[in-house]
Amino acid sequence: MNDLLKELYQEIILDHGQEPRNFGTCENHNKSADGHNPLCGDKVHLSFYLDENDIINDIKFSGEGCAISIASASLMTEKLKGMKLSEAQSIFNDFTKLVKGDADTLEILNDEDSLFALKGVEAFPMRVKCATLAWHTFKSAVENK
Amino acid sequence: MINTTKIRKDFPILDKKILNQKDLIYFDTAASAQKPEHVISEMDNFYRQNYSNVSRGIHTLSVESTFAFEEARVKVQKFINASSEKEIIFTKSATESINLIAQTFAEKNINEGDEIVLTTMEHHSNLIPWFLVRDKYKCTIKFADIDKNGHVDKEHFASLLNDKTKIVAITHLSNVFGTETNSEILKLCNDRNIPVLLDGCQSAAHLDIDVQKLGCDFYVFSGHKLYGPSGIGILYGKEEILEQLPPYQGGGGMIADVTLDGATFTSLPAKYEAGTPPIVEAFGLGVAIDYVTEIGMNNINNHETELTKTALNEMMDLDFVEIYGTSSDKNSIISFNLENIHSHEVASFLDVEGVAIRAGHHCCQPLMKKLNVNSTSRMSFGIYNTADEIKVFIDAIKKCRDFFKK
Repeated sequence: MNDLLKELYQEIILDHGQEPRNFGTCENHNKSADGHNPLCGDKVHLSFYLDENDIINDIKFSGEGCAISIASASLMTEKLKGMKLSEAQSIFNDFTKLVKGDADTLEILNDEDSLFALKGVEAFPMRVKCATLAWHTFKSAVENK
Repeated sequence: MINTTKIRKDFPILDKKILNQKDLIYFDTAASAQKPEHVISEMDNFYRQNYSNVSRGIHTLSVESTFAFEEARVKVQKFINASSEKEIIFTKSATESINLIAQTFAEKNINEGDEIVLTTMEHHSNLIPWFLVRDKYKCTIKFADIDKNGHVDKEHFASLLNDKTKIVAITHLSNVFGTETNSEILKLCNDRNIPVLLDGCQSAAHLDIDVQKLGCDFYVFSGHKLYGPSGIGILYGKEEILEQLPPYQGGGGMIADVTLDGATFTSLPAKYEAGTPPIVEAFGLGVAIDYVTEIGMNNINNHETELTKTALNEMMDLDFVEIYGTSSDKNSIISFNLENIHSHEVASFLDVEGVAIRAGHHCCQPLMKKLNVNSTSRMSFGIYNTADEIKVFIDAIKKCRDFFKK
């Protein structure tokens, strides 16, 4: 099997792509947004509860898409749950760099982080939009008052 | 029969190795065809030897450019058997051609309460221009049903036509199913004197086109799907209709006389070619037309129909492949999904094997919804493809299935 494909479809990606975690809608959410990739039709709905201390208390997503977009959304919810919003925003920046092949300049994430499973995307520029869909949806949910 | 060994030598890009040093297998001609050496070198040569702006010029280069540009128009006219070169308008794309007709036809003919008939399988480029008309003129769009193979439901289509129907716009060869619109559908419109726009983006490269026999009033296609350059589209329109329609864009080249109070417009085809046109692109399309004409459109059609049958038969034997539309009249396009694998994964996997296919909604979101899928993979054939390439493809999708097996 080709190394690029092995890198792209690591076990953890296939696992989360087929059995996403935190799938559904947060019952008591106060932030939500819809993400849509009009070029390929992938869709994601993201909802979370941001408590009075700016902690992402609970976060869930639903939607349809390829293994990369679903796995990325699933890993994102795992990562962000319980995290302070400001830190989550830094991770957003790091993650975007990671999948675009700019892993040398990360501020928080390191290669032991589960999100590094998506580093293989860097070899497939057309798939960056798959990997970042959930993250951009998160960003727009934060910006939605 | 066509000689694919010889033809393949005409396409320099087929020598390219993909990622893992795999031979390129280009199964994405429906999105855009590759270019033969002759088109590339002739366009290059045109820039080196003959290039200038067209029309109105006196000097030698302007005359040479104008001559070559107008010669290309005559080549297009003959290629689709239009009755006059005045009926051939150069645009930048087939999409622009449809927008041109939608806007100008609506301005002249469509009022509140009128109806436009499309089908549910149209490409976005044959939907959105009409949505814009609907919003602007408060008319209604009716959508004809299709069957699971991509054939228009004739009875349903007939039931949509009435005295309020002002125009029908329909694909000639579906970019998802590869099926051809039946001539009976056009006859229903002709019988009622309803103008028909045929979207020929897919058909122009695969079928022998005769716009007069087809019974369409407008026919659009693009150069890049016909082994020519991008940036050039064609609008064919019946002279007597185009003459009655208002201008589309204003500018140089489309006027007869201008004062500061207004302008009178020039005759066809220049009336619809405001601004400097895609000169070298039109020329390049002419070269591409010469190329396919020499091979013969019927030969091309036979070759691609054979490839389609071969691939379809092989794929239908695989229980993990779902094919969208399996009728025997499919031409050069097969849309499919592998069980439980998103089309993006299929496309990335095949890419690494050297096989270029397209994945996504193919600019047909309403159709994807109807098929109840998020996306499909699509393979499509051109003159350079071979049965051996299909074998490689079949092996590759088997490997893909195994790779993603739980």
